[in-house]
Amino acid sequence: MNADRVIRWSIWVYLVLVFAFVFTPIVTSVIFSFNSDRFPTVPLGSFTFKWYETVLNDPDFWKAARTSMLVCVCSGVLATFIGFCTAYTDFRYQFRFKGAYIALALLPPTIPLIILALGMLAWLSKIGASGQVWSIIIAHTVLCAPFAMGVIRLRLQQMDPDLESAAWNLGASEWAAMKNVVLPFAMPALISAFCLTMAVSFDEFTVSWFVSGLNKTIPVAILEVLQGTVDPQINAIGTFVFFTSMTLVVIAQLIFSYRSNQN
Amino acid sequence: MPPLVIDSQSPSIRKLSVKNKIDLYALTWRMPVIVWQLLFFVGPLLFMIAMSFFLVKNYRMQEAFEMKNWIKMTSRDYFWDAYWYTIGLATLSTVVTSLLAFPAAFGLAFKVSASVRRWAIFLLIIPFFTSYLVRTFSWYVILAESGVANALLGYLGLGPYKMLNTVFGSIVGYLTLTFPLVIILQTLSLANIDRSLLEAAQNLGAGRLRTIWSVTIPAAKTGLIIGAVFCFILSFGDFVAPYYLGGSKPPTLPILIIDTTKAGQQWPRAAVVAVVMMVTLMVVAYTAISIAYRKRR
Amino acid sequence: MTNHKKFTRRKFIKASTAVASAIAAPMILTSRKALAAPTEINMLGWYGTAEPDMVAEFEAAENVKFVPKYYAGGDNMLAALAQNPPGTFDLIHTDAEYARLLIESDLVDELDPSDYPMDDLMHEDFMNFPGHWNDGKLYSLITRYGHLGVSYNKDAITREEAMSYNVFWDEKLKGKVGHFDWHLPSLGEISLLNGNTSPGPFDISEDAWKAVQEKTLSLKPQVGGYFDFGGTFAGLKNAEMLAMVGIGDWVTGILERDGAPVSSVVPEEGGIQWTESYSIVSTSTKKDIVKKYLEYTISAPGQVKSAQMLGYPGFAVTNAGRAMLNEVDPKEAMRTGQVNGDANDPVALIKQGRIHYRDIPKQQSLEDWNDFWSEYKNA
Repeated sequence: MNADRVIRWSIWVYLVLVFAFVFTPIVTSVIFSFNSDRFPTVPLGSFTFKWYETVLNDPDFWKAARTSMLVCVCSGVLATFIGFCTAYTDFRYQFRFKGAYIALALLPPTIPLIILALGMLAWLSKIGASGQVWSIIIAHTVLCAPFAMGVIRLRLQQMDPDLESAAWNLGASEWAAMKNVVLPFAMPALISAFCLTMAVSFDEFTVSWFVSGLNKTIPVAILEVLQGTVDPQINAIGTFVFFTSMTLVVIAQLIFSYRSNQN
Repeated sequence: MPPLVIDSQSPSIRKLSVKNKIDLYALTWRMPVIVWQLLFFVGPLLFMIAMSFFLVKNYRMQEAFEMKNWIKMTSRDYFWDAYWYTIGLATLSTVVTSLLAFPAAFGLAFKVSASVRRWAIFLLIIPFFTSYLVRTFSWYVILAESGVANALLGYLGLGPYKMLNTVFGSIVGYLTLTFPLVIILQTLSLANIDRSLLEAAQNLGAGRLRTIWSVTIPAAKTGLIIGAVFCFILSFGDFVAPYYLGGSKPPTLPILIIDTTKAGQQWPRAAVVAVVMMVTLMVVAYTAISIAYRKRR
Repeated sequence: MTNHKKFTRRKFIKASTAVASAIAAPMILTSRKALAAPTEINMLGWYGTAEPDMVAEFEAAENVKFVPKYYAGGDNMLAALAQNPPGTFDLIHTDAEYARLLIESDLVDELDPSDYPMDDLMHEDFMNFPGHWNDGKLYSLITRYGHLGVSYNKDAITREEAMSYNVFWDEKLKGKVGHFDWHLPSLGEISLLNGNTSPGPFDISEDAWKAVQEKTLSLKPQVGGYFDFGGTFAGLKNAEMLAMVGIGDWVTGILERDGAPVSSVVPEEGGIQWTESYSIVSTSTKKDIVKKYLEYTISAPGQVKSAQMLGYPGFAVTNAGRAMLNEVDPKEAMRTGQVNGDANDPVALIKQGRIHYRDIPKQQSLEDWNDFWSEYKNA
């Protein structure tokens, strides 16, 4: 029994270490964002808001924030729409080449971003759609749709397939059944998927960096600071990004689990 | 959006019998992903393959079908050095990450309560929504010669150690990217193991390590391998860790892609690198997945 | 049924409106912004050249807004040009050796030298700078320059040691020598060390080029990394790197102003000069206002801004600019030797023949150098 306790304790200690490792960069970035030193070390410098002031007074930051919001909302809508269509098709239909169909839908996350970035850049310049806000939205929709599909598909899984046919038997058309049965049932997943895809889009930088031209998003702005002056503004921006993304995720999580429990 | 037409046939006779019929309704849901992915996912990838045969003259790309870029890149030692180095580094990252993740996943799957597990997984999801660049920058500041880690070690009378611009730095970066994901995937696959299997093994007198080695790991094999594959893919394709924490010394393939597009102005050659990367990943993923799903004898 | 149909249709109209607006939103938002906001000048430039410290005054005076795309290294600039649709940029800030390529590709407009104080330039070379002129016509306006040599940490090595490029091979710098990740400056310095001073470090025979490659490869064991601007900057500041190849005061100057123990010298073997200029893009629709900015950059106040630039300092090119700098910021003038009669006066260094203008390789192709650089990084 003693051995059991030793194991249990060492596992706890190990878990604490693991979580410490995972959260070290997140916590230090928040701390450094209030620290006056340009290249922080211990002991810390004095407490300051100056990095936040620099960031918030920088019109380029606000421009990047607007671009980011625009991109993440638009690609969130498009990805959720495509994700829903795909998830519903997978849920409801059997057809030849369905395996290939699903693979086509789910493949993007398995391709390294740097490769997608190069391909997108070349292809979008070829068809004359590079260097615009548009280009980022197109690319992010590709990246995000599989996540939306995953979330929505899980939700549809919980739906009784007979529910839809029951609606048809009661005289509803397929479209009406979709509107009155499927969509309401899937709604929490749609909202979750929307939030989740927005969060994914909000953080992506590789593809954006390649295709965005002059339209910087926030992560691209961070990358440019990293390539340029390297100063703790990054931490201030990072803290801002963190809270935005977390808000989206928590909303997604709450809606998804609340509605799931309800039904 | 396709034009809106509403099917007004009497609906009452339709039930499961029409499930396989392709009509406007079915197409409405089926087509968006096909159209979008062909245009903006398959299109770019195919174009990139085609581009690897293009030529660049006077800083302008010309469509052509020439082997020049392929010959040029594959005949260069530095390309192959970078290739094997990247594979080595990604493999090292995969091994280190999987080994470090396993005890944690094992603990979360078997040694804590379900609610602790849920919370732990929730906490592990958080990093995905913090900027990877910002976390890398934090490590940069922590690992620097005059940085936080060495200052803390200094209090203990140790160091300073050179951590930045080394393989160690790159691995820390890769861990930042992949560790939480691998722990989650491992935990989920371990938690799904049929407990009675484990009890049976113990009842048969197998020791702890023996049980883990010959029952737990094989039973969770699929999930463990999938975690490792994702880890490999992410490490193989990441340019941030080897650049900012590894000092680009030597460059990995993703850095080579950026160098050739951003500095060398050679999209076609970058495409060669990208195509080689894609083929490599396909081989690795295919091999790993077939091992993962192979029935145990 | 009818009811259903109606609702369904409405639902779908709603859904398609949502999708349509997701598609249309970027256009609407961008176009509206363009109407309301001041004229936007899209500029391709080195990092920091369109930051508020440089352009805010001009922006306010002329109701314009600079939208920068930053790069590091001329090849990088060419890539950015290729990567964006033609007509994206109005103004290009570039290095002399790459200005030549812009002119050759017909991308930039001819300038009228009489619009600018060419007579006031501090060195006769500046008045007819190679790369800025073509067939006796001016295409690119010189605005600032700087010298590259040995950049070092003052706690680790002395100024005397730093006076030769051989210091990079010093045992105590093992693993602590950093490269700015661009072939021209680094290889140029090694070329100088090999004695290629006449006609210059970039005009070398095949044999000399081989020798440069060998010499460069022998430095490999000393090298701690290859860095972009940010990495170079942070590496020196953190003492992660104790010496840097291929940079100069344009990096250490910022750190020195900040009190860090770093400095740059032009060693005995000679130094390399970077020379930056502005060109107006032929496809620009805002040429008048861009031209006004060119006039501003070479005016005395513009020159002072450039010398004090937060991104990276550059020497003033006009006498009027130097005079004003000495007046308003004598400390910075002293620090950089921009005082008439100073021993480190950059103009004096040029006159002594110790400075070589950075150029693209004359006898090899740019690609050869670039290729070797990739090889070296992977060696």
